[in-house]
Amino acid sequence: MHHQRKSFALTAASVAAGVLTICCSVSLWSAPAPQQGITAAAEAAPQRETVGPASPPVLPEANPTRKPTGAPPPPAPVLPPPEKIPVRPAKAAAEPPPVPPVSLDIPNTGISVNVVDVGVDKNDAMEIPNSFWEAGWYRYGPAPGSKAGNAVIAAHVDSQTEVLPFAQLRAVEPGTVITVGLADGRSLRYEVTEVKNVPKATLNGSEVFRRDGPAQLKIITCGGKWLPEKGDYEDNVVLTALPL
Amino acid sequence: MRRSLYTVGTVLVMGAAAMAGPASAAETQSQASLSVLHAVPDLTVDVYVNGALTLDDFTPGTLAGPLPLPAGNYQLAVTAADAPDASAPVIGPVDVTLEAGGNYTATANLDAAGNPTANFYTNDVSPVEAGKARLTVRHVAAAPAVDVLAGGAPIVPNLSNPGEASLSTAPGTVSAAVAAAGTTEPVIGPADLNLAEGTSTIVYAWGSLEGGNLALATQVIEGLQSTPGAVPGGQSGLAAQSAENNDGAALGLGLGALLLALLGGAAVAGRRRTARA
Repeated sequence: MHHQRKSFALTAASVAAGVLTICCSVSLWSAPAPQQGITAAAEAAPQRETVGPASPPVLPEANPTRKPTGAPPPPAPVLPPPEKIPVRPAKAAAEPPPVPPVSLDIPNTGISVNVVDVGVDKNDAMEIPNSFWEAGWYRYGPAPGSKAGNAVIAAHVDSQTEVLPFAQLRAVEPGTVITVGLADGRSLRYEVTEVKNVPKATLNGSEVFRRDGPAQLKIITCGGKWLPEKGDYEDNVVLTALPL
Repeated sequence: MRRSLYTVGTVLVMGAAAMAGPASAAETQSQASLSVLHAVPDLTVDVYVNGALTLDDFTPGTLAGPLPLPAGNYQLAVTAADAPDASAPVIGPVDVTLEAGGNYTATANLDAAGNPTANFYTNDVSPVEAGKARLTVRHVAAAPAVDVLAGGAPIVPNLSNPGEASLSTAPGTVSAAVAAAGTTEPVIGPADLNLAEGTSTIVYAWGSLEGGNLALATQVIEGLQSTPGAVPGGQSGLAAQSAENNDGAALGLGLGALLLALLGGAAVAGRRRTARA
């Protein structure tokens, strides 16, 4: 099997060398609130100028001369007691990076691939490895094995010249046990709970890439109809699996 | 300890960052978030909010909060650690307004001349672009203008107390240092600074050049990440064609995947033979 995979990679590489790869066009599902930002900036601008003793007193009780009054304003109703307020050294505690995944195997499919770390490409899309026998793990989100949030692994469903193993993702049955190998040699097992097609236009990025909440594995590729005018598939195929 | 008091510096914003963006998910819209940084060397203090003791025996170089507070007006005062109440502050009282959804840091620090003072900063909690980290630097030290260096190269030039500057950068570890403006000989650092994706890291240069105790303090605001705009999973439509053919042939028998595997295997095997030939 391993030897076979190598041959595949060779084939793939030779094909890739001659073909200009064109990724799916980017569909923006989340407009990350630029408008909100602008609004907030506009609102905040005068706020900066209100800061400081030169500004008119905002508390009626406050003495405009800034001398201690001896009669401070009444405490805010919800001010927590001092012992309830977190105080810590103002140092950034660098958390050790998680152990990255290195392999993904889904039985009864041809999906038996290496997994590499990926980030975000120039089009604000998740990077997908160009090597056809690799899948990408979104390194800014949780890793497989994290206590919370979704570990996201994605791969291409096809190349310019052939159908790739991830074309079988849509047919994976719930209950299938997936194995994710980690860089430290551990293997994690996940049970598939759902595989569904989600129109790219409505894919909820903040749900898929969730960094808190229950730990899940999300495996994503393209699916549904090919839209020649967009050069893109209509859907994402999203597999959800829970840790065993 | 009482010197020239009651001064709050105007916050200079050099960066293009939007101020006071939308609240992070953890906050409700009627709440604001307040952190307090103690950046006056060699002075343990108490902090009073609206006359109530809020931080007891607060030591230099520590950060308190974030404290969720209802939006509104507050009066902050910093007293000696043994003060019985807020009536004789060493810094303040300072009136501040916390807007709903706003995120703020009040600092007790030295002004450029070395006098204790307070600053009130609005933290940018707007979403950070996917794959990026936000870095904000604030000068709250008794020192002249500085350059902030990353990997030995200036990233923020000529920053004066109590100014701040903000930028978006690739996440990762940077070697950060602070030098007198126009120079590269560090007066602080270099120190490794971990900038995590989707977070805002706020670095304060604090202390006193004359006192020989300049240092960096760091505040991290998490949960500002954006998600990638898409997951591009296909390139040619071949998988769709293949799926249609298979669905037609197998029609509900669940053999599509198997056929696909066989076809795919055959195709690849063919190509392998070709490649070998």
